[in-house]
Amino acid sequence: MAAIETRSLSKVYVTSFGNKKVRALNELNLTIEKGTIFGMLGPNGAGKTTLVKLLLQIIFPTFGTARLLDTDINDYHLKKKIGYLPENHKYPPYLSGGAVLKYFGKLSNINGLELDKKIDELLELVNLSKWKKAKVKTYSKGMMQRLGLAQALINDPELIFLDEPTDGVDPIGRKEIRDILLELKSRSKTIFLNSHLLSEVELITDRVGILNKGKLLREGTVRELTEKKEEYKITVSDEEFELTRYSDKNMIITKSNSGSYSVKVDDIRTMNLLVDKLRNDSVLIKEIVLQKDTLEEMFISLISQEEKGIEN
Amino acid sequence: MNNILTIVKFTLAEALARKVFLFFAAITLLVLLGTLLVIGLVDLETLMGITKATEQKQLMGEIVSSIELLIVNPLANLGLLLAIFSSASFIPVMLEKGNIDLLLSKPISRTQLLIGKYCGVVLFVFLNILLFVFGIWLIISIKFGYWDASFLTLSLIITYTFAILYALILFFGVITKSSIPGMMLAYLIFLILSPLLLLYKDKLNEFISSEIIKTFLDGLYFIIPQTAELMGSIMIDLAAGKGITNFQSILTSLLFLIIFLVFSVLLFKRKDF
Repeated sequence: MAAIETRSLSKVYVTSFGNKKVRALNELNLTIEKGTIFGMLGPNGAGKTTLVKLLLQIIFPTFGTARLLDTDINDYHLKKKIGYLPENHKYPPYLSGGAVLKYFGKLSNINGLELDKKIDELLELVNLSKWKKAKVKTYSKGMMQRLGLAQALINDPELIFLDEPTDGVDPIGRKEIRDILLELKSRSKTIFLNSHLLSEVELITDRVGILNKGKLLREGTVRELTEKKEEYKITVSDEEFELTRYSDKNMIITKSNSGSYSVKVDDIRTMNLLVDKLRNDSVLIKEIVLQKDTLEEMFISLISQEEKGIEN
Repeated sequence: MNNILTIVKFTLAEALARKVFLFFAAITLLVLLGTLLVIGLVDLETLMGITKATEQKQLMGEIVSSIELLIVNPLANLGLLLAIFSSASFIPVMLEKGNIDLLLSKPISRTQLLIGKYCGVVLFVFLNILLFVFGIWLIISIKFGYWDASFLTLSLIITYTFAILYALILFFGVITKSSIPGMMLAYLIFLILSPLLLLYKDKLNEFISSEIIKTFLDGLYFIIPQTAELMGSIMIDLAAGKGITNFQSILTSLLFLIIFLVFSVLLFKRKDF
C-alpha cells in the first residue's frame, strides 16, 4: 500500500511581475510504499523542500495530484497521521522544550495525561529530559533539531517528513537520530527524508530518489542506483597471467595496481564469454565482483551529466 | 473550536512573553496611580454640596461619568495607538518561514489558525482595556460613592474599535507578511480619515457644492470604519448610560470588519508559504 503517491505533481513559481517562471517541481510521479524509509537527494534548489511543502499543503500545486496514506492531500484531517520536521524550523523562543511539545501536541488534538506522558517519553527519546523546562532560546542547534524530531513524533504519526533532520547535529547525535529512525521503521512507520548527507541516507534508506531542477532523475534502492552494470573486478590466481590479452572491441580490460583487473563489457553475456575463455585456458578465477559506486559518486556523476545536458 | 482555543491561549502566552502585557499593565498602573492622585485633590464636599443643592442624583451620575470620560477618552485613544503598534507584528511573526510551516503541518485548518490568532490578539487587548477601564471606574466610584456599571461597557467599544482596525492589519499582514502597511493604514484611518470624514459629515457638508465630490465623500464615509464616532459620541453615550444611540456607525464598521476578515481568510487559504 502506498504511503505517498504523486501524479504529475508540479509547482511553477511566477515572479512578482509575472515575467519569469521557475519550475520548482516538474510533473513528479512517485510512489512510496508504507513502512519504508525513502531518501530524497538533490542539490540546493532541486525541489526537495517544495515537494514536501506541496504534500503538506503548505504550498499548493500548479497542477497534478497527490495522496498521502490513501487520502487526498486537501483533507487537513489527514495531518493527524503525519509528522513534519521542517528545515530551519522556529519555535516560540519564550516557550520551554516541554511547552513547545505541549503546544504542537494540542494542535494535533492530544490532550491531558496522554499528552504529558507522550512529552516525557519523547524528551527521553531525544535526550532532552533535563532540558524540559529550559527555554528553547537557550538550546543549541543540535538540541533544536532533536526537539524538532520530538515535535514531529508528538502525534505518533504514520508518515513522517524530515527535512535535513541531522543538520547541525554532532556525529553521536546523528547516530542517535539514525537509530530512532530505524526504530520507527521497525514499527511500520513511513519516513520521507530530505538530506544532503548522502552517506547517512545510504545507511538507513530503503529507496532513494534523486531530484534535480524539479525533475526526478532516478529512483530505486541504493544498490540499484550504485551498481555499475557493465563493470566487474576480476582477480585470478596466477598474478603473472595477463588478462589484458582478451581485450577486444566488446570488452576493455585494464590492470589495477592491486593486481586485479577491471573489465568493462557491453553486457553480461560478454562477461560470461570471458569466464569461459579463462576456464578453457585453465586460469583459476579467485573473485568476480560487480563494481559499485558509492551513493556520493553516483550522485555527483548523475548531477554533472544532467548539468551538461547529457541524457543518462 | 479546540484548535482556535489553543491558538488563542498561546497568543496570550506570546503577548505575555513579549512583555506586551507587562508594558500595558505598567502604563495602566501609572495611569491609575495618577488618577488616584488627581481624584484625591478633588474637593468632594463642594461637589456633594452642588449635588445636594440640586437634589438630583442624575447630576451626580453626570459628574461622575464626565470625570471618568475625561480620563478614559484621551487615554483610550492613546492606548489604542499603542495597542495597534504592539500587536501589529503578531501576524508577520506567525507567517515567518519555519514557524508557519510547522503550524500548517498540524491538523488545523487555515481558517481556524488565522481566526484563532486574530481572536487571541483582540482578547489580549480587551483584557488590557478592561483592566484600565475597570481601574478608573473603581477609583472614581469609591471616591464618589456612586456606582454605575454602564461605564464598564466602554471597554467593549474600545476593543471593538481595535478589532475593526486589526482586521485591516490582519489583511495586509497576510498579503505582505509585514506589519508596516496595515499599521500605517490603521493609523491613517484612526487619526486622519475617520475624524476628517466625521468633520465633513457634521460641519463641512454644506460648504461643498460639487455633487460628485459630495457623493464620493458620502460613499467614503460609509466605507471607512467610523472610528471617530465609536471613540467619540458613542463612547460618551455609553459612559452616560444612554446605551448605543448610533447603530449606523456600529454596523457599517462591523461590515468593514467582516469584509476584511473574510478576505484575509480567503487569501490565507490559498497562499503559499
